[in-house]
Amino acid sequence: MEQLLDILLHPEYLSSLYFCLIGIFASAIISFLPALHIYNVIGIFMLFVLKFEATMAPMELIALSIGMIVGYSVLNTVPATFFGPGDESMSYYILPSADWVNKGRGYEGVIMTGIGSLTGVIVLALLAPVFIYTLPTLKAITSPHMFWIIGAVIIYSIMSEWPKGLSQSPDCWTNFKEGWYYLGIGFLLFLASGLLGFIVMAKTMVPVQFAFQSITPVFVGLFAMPWLITNVINIGKVPHQHEAESVELDWDLVARGTFGGFLGGFFAAFVPIVTAGVGGLMAGHATAQRDGRLFVMSYGTCKTVYYVGSFLLFFIPGLSLTRGGLACIINPVVNVLTIKEYFIFVGLMLFAAGVSFLLLMPFTKLCLKIVESIPFQWVSIIAMIIVIPAVYLCTGWGGMFIMTVATGLGLIPVLFQARRMNLMGVLLLPVCLNMAGYGNVILKFLGLL
Amino acid sequence: MKGFTHFISGMAVASFFPQAVHMAAQESSFILCLGGLFGILPDTLDFKLAKYFYKSDFEVKPDPNKLDAREIANGVAQAVNKAIETGKGTVQLHTMQIASNRWRSYLLRFDTKTSEICVDIGPEVDTGQIPFDGTELTDPEKAHARVKVNCEFYQQFDKVSNIAIMTGPCFEFAKREDGKMEIVFLPWHRQWSHSFTLGMLIAFLVGLVTYFTIPEGPHPELYTIPRWMLYPLIILFGSMVHIIEDSTGFMGNNLFYPFTKGRTNGLGFMSASEGIPNFFFVWTSVICILYNLDRFTPTGNPAIASQATFWFWFYIVPVAIMVYFFLKGKKEKALKAKETGDKEKTVDFDGPQAVESETDASII
Repeated sequence: MEQLLDILLHPEYLSSLYFCLIGIFASAIISFLPALHIYNVIGIFMLFVLKFEATMAPMELIALSIGMIVGYSVLNTVPATFFGPGDESMSYYILPSADWVNKGRGYEGVIMTGIGSLTGVIVLALLAPVFIYTLPTLKAITSPHMFWIIGAVIIYSIMSEWPKGLSQSPDCWTNFKEGWYYLGIGFLLFLASGLLGFIVMAKTMVPVQFAFQSITPVFVGLFAMPWLITNVINIGKVPHQHEAESVELDWDLVARGTFGGFLGGFFAAFVPIVTAGVGGLMAGHATAQRDGRLFVMSYGTCKTVYYVGSFLLFFIPGLSLTRGGLACIINPVVNVLTIKEYFIFVGLMLFAAGVSFLLLMPFTKLCLKIVESIPFQWVSIIAMIIVIPAVYLCTGWGGMFIMTVATGLGLIPVLFQARRMNLMGVLLLPVCLNMAGYGNVILKFLGLL
Repeated sequence: MKGFTHFISGMAVASFFPQAVHMAAQESSFILCLGGLFGILPDTLDFKLAKYFYKSDFEVKPDPNKLDAREIANGVAQAVNKAIETGKGTVQLHTMQIASNRWRSYLLRFDTKTSEICVDIGPEVDTGQIPFDGTELTDPEKAHARVKVNCEFYQQFDKVSNIAIMTGPCFEFAKREDGKMEIVFLPWHRQWSHSFTLGMLIAFLVGLVTYFTIPEGPHPELYTIPRWMLYPLIILFGSMVHIIEDSTGFMGNNLFYPFTKGRTNGLGFMSASEGIPNFFFVWTSVICILYNLDRFTPTGNPAIASQATFWFWFYIVPVAIMVYFFLKGKKEKALKAKETGDKEKTVDFDGPQAVESETDASII
């Protein structure tokens, strides 16, 4: 620890702390852009930053990225809770947290999630030395099997959805049809999302110069727009939020929440395409979570471990797993990775988590002021006014068309009470089948090749 | 056990077949997922099929505009009385939907000491089961009721049923040899779907198909069983592991339906809803899968350097920690029960609400 502090506080590396801080504050601003996926925003931000690449040392750029990803993973809970989620990982969390907002406990929920994020980063740091020895072996074992692991995730996601409906008809078949109506919609939604994924990946309508943003309109359409539209037409009002002085957590809950969240987050970070939402659902089932507080807290751990962990994997010497958008963006800049850089990463990650957590309370209070002073519908309308032109600027009319189609699909869960997670078929299905080597067959069948 | 536990256990069982691992690694086969699919299938059959076709003797369909707890309790008592006369009676309780996101809740429990059916009308709740303030019934006569029946209740699970959203529960009352009235929760659950016979039947049918359709793979001399037999065996063991895992809880299975008529009692080692037992099975499965994928790697060069180290650090140590916390939890629960004078409560229910109420955000 002393050695790590020596390195971090050495004048040579002090600039890393400085850039890390800039990253955290930049992430606070990025977090405020409602309903946008982190990697898209960071992608645009990095395009701007990379202009300074010649004057920035690689470690400074890495420090900036660490600040951004850690800051975002901690702080994005706040606007997502009060304004709307930006991706599937957030939408998984956001609906249960909406209960807390309805009870006037949104502030407490955010702080609990923040505690979860902090414990997630601490566990990541504690396990960082272990990762060096274990993860290369895990990678070697699982690499040839990744396609069926994703396949298993798909099968479980579909099969774990239970029928809805009242089943109050005296006729069995009517009840059966009613229950399966929702299941059928969920399944069709998964397939339709998968089809959209195949089309977008094989023949995107996004112009070539914006190719790096080709998935943006899909995610905005599937997850952000439906949420904003729902908010606009929602006649409800956000109740007054109580700024609690303490949170209802004990060490047992913290330990259980961190454990469950870490499992889900790590699984999502390690397995490609799997998001924190999917990982969190599976870990929640695996550890039989029941308590609402446990869910909110463990979700903080899950999403932080997912976002930060997937970036951390890239820095593990001898592993260099490129998971998540940020690792892809940073990949060309980083040449050699040593143990020293890895532990500097870990130190900066802890530093960023601490600063972000301290920012969380004032940040939440600021958001609360906005929510309580501006009608909720207007916040969503403003968000749409930001998001739609942003999509047009980044992806052109082609992107706008994709976003419109994706919005249609994204509204189906809202209208028909299907799981939002089915929308992840957009990535899970094409990636799984491509990894298994069946992608071209399907593309040919669809006439896309 | 939770659906996920069964699912991953099924895949773990499949991974014990070297040919299946080779097929996955070299032929892009999803065969290992087949174990998971059939691991979770018994519960799928119950909650997505059997429950719709189970006919109850009585149905309690409370009117949200004319709330009366006594009416509900009397409806349940009808089924109990039928069981007193004929040996068996069933009742399906329905929920009360008021608006798209508004339901009237009520609680049902059976008082074993006084032989009473107790019903309490609760507040209106949303689909996330959040109560709306000020919606409780003010008339105590209508809000609470206790109806005495002429029998002694026997219930394995001391459970208060909160009937609020989606589909309500079903109860069966069965007269035991000792004269007590057994309360069977979800009588359609863990019956024919959770039997070895069904697993064997499906495996046999699949075996018939694969025998004629699946050709032998490369290097058959490496394997002790032919490729066509792999599919039915994975299906059979996948569904068997589900039944075995469920038998460790309090609610058993109808093991050899139709030769056995009813659901047996479980071994009672653990409750299906408990976190540590579920995670024990999940972790065991994960370790087995990793171990099997590694030892059956087609390259012939396992990545795990020392098997003893692997098993010690990744299995023995975590299991020891789990056992410690499990026993500690049991001890604390027993102490708490002793202090309050209550019976230790056990809940063994893996229905859709218990499984998903906290984790499936989309139903809200």
